[in-house]
Amino acid sequence: MFHGKVIDASKGAISIDAAQKFITSEKCGASLFFIGTVRNHNNNKNVTGITYDSHDAIVEKSFKEIYDEAIQKLKLEYPVVFIEHTKGYVPLGGISIIIAVAAKHRSQVYDLSRYIIEEIKKRTPIWKKEHYDDNESDWLKGNPVIDTEKK
Amino acid sequence: MKIKIELFGAARDFSKEDFLELTLPEISSVKEVRENLADFIQSKYPDNANYLEIVKRSAFANEQNEIVHDDYQLSNHSKLCIIPPVGGG
Repeated sequence: MFHGKVIDASKGAISIDAAQKFITSEKCGASLFFIGTVRNHNNNKNVTGITYDSHDAIVEKSFKEIYDEAIQKLKLEYPVVFIEHTKGYVPLGGISIIIAVAAKHRSQVYDLSRYIIEEIKKRTPIWKKEHYDDNESDWLKGNPVIDTEKK
Repeated sequence: MKIKIELFGAARDFSKEDFLELTLPEISSVKEVRENLADFIQSKYPDNANYLEIVKRSAFANEQNEIVHDDYQLSNHSKLCIIPPVGGG
């Protein structure tokens, strides 16, 4: 079972309760939550919040592709995955992403959760603009989706 | 021909609008888009090496939400999205 969505912070909030409800399954003996939050420092600067930008359609497609790959690679039985990522402004301590997973065994949920977050960071079109306590802001350098150097 | 590029992430700073329109030769691919965009940046922001680096390191997506490579052929009024280096989570 899979759920993957971008949530616009101006219209709603991602919810741990919704994630918990979605991944509850009598077939699964293990569940795990990864919750990403905005921290107050990065690169020796004091961060006050982050604005997330997203290409929603490609993000949601990418979440599903990563889920499909993960269940094949990790050979999972009865996997359940809930992914939501915030778009828009997130203040300090606010939640940017929830990856909630359930599977038959504990080793599977650790592998599954880790695989999903690492792949999202490599290829899912989401961008961070950090805001600092000196009122400056900056887009963070990220990972190129394709290797344009080779073209 | 004219094409439209929807801007995302750091590329949003290229314009006050959320898109750019480029005029390209009749037979053009993503490679020409990247070159034309680099020319636009050098002309409008001559001192901003960071913007040029973004153009160089970006991918492009078509209207079907697929990542397209430099040899992907365009037609008049094609729409692309620029996908700068990503970093969610």
